[in-house]
Amino acid sequence: MATTEPAVRPPDNAGKKILMIMTTGPEDPDKTYAPFYTAALMAAMEIDTTMYFLMHAPELLVKGRADSLPLKKGGNLRMFIDMALENGVKFLACSESCRDLCDIPEGALLDGVKLVGSATLADLALEADSVISF
Amino acid sequence: MTIENGCELPDELYYFVERSQMTWVRVDGGEVRIGLTDPAQTRAGKILHVRVKAAGTARERGKPIATVESGKWAGPVIAPVSGEVVEANVAVEQDPGLLNTDPYGKGWIVRMRPTHPEEVAQLLHGPAALAKFREILQRDNIRCMRCQG
Repeated sequence: MATTEPAVRPPDNAGKKILMIMTTGPEDPDKTYAPFYTAALMAAMEIDTTMYFLMHAPELLVKGRADSLPLKKGGNLRMFIDMALENGVKFLACSESCRDLCDIPEGALLDGVKLVGSATLADLALEADSVISF
Repeated sequence: MTIENGCELPDELYYFVERSQMTWVRVDGGEVRIGLTDPAQTRAGKILHVRVKAAGTARERGKPIATVESGKWAGPVIAPVSGEVVEANVAVEQDPGLLNTDPYGKGWIVRMRPTHPEEVAQLLHGPAALAKFREILQRDNIRCMRCQG
């Protein structure tokens, strides 16, 4: 059987690295789900995808918080967070934001979230093929 | 054809059911054809975009062969067996709704040539597949319907 490939296929970006910087927190729920959805898709495309949460964004990752964050499109944020984690997105939270801005106690973040410092953000941004900010 | 909770589950197919994956495999000579099951398309909702790995791509079992987006779900379609992509179904890339309306027919996603044909026999089939689907349909409260338009 003949192969019927389209004339122009989108590039296969597997193996590239994307850093997504997330600054929006629970104060604007409808701005929160698209980054998780997009990150989940990127990871499914085998793009090495990292989300870095700073300012009020780490509050989204406090256990139970996303479950009670309703979205205009229906459902809650937790399903999008779970989708991203299941697809292999790495979650990094800024330790300074967690401590000084969000008052997040130790152990309150979802399993799978790693606390890192600001220097890590510089490393990740310089190593990534692309940086996206929300 | 078995119908469970309104979901069609053709008896002759093999099934890959792990984590978020619910795909079917149809053996066709030395090749396999792969697609989403009726429960999978129902759970995803109206599918908006599909991107399939190009012909010639070699995939190990467990690696993505496609990505699917529905607005409420975005994720990979995992290769249920190792092999080489022989043909990506261009029709579903152009009309992703085929995965909803005809998941076992025109909505097939990819044809592969398995490099380890014995992996097909390791997939779920017959009563074992049905038992697994019953468990998932009940647990996730899935009732199938064909999304039109």
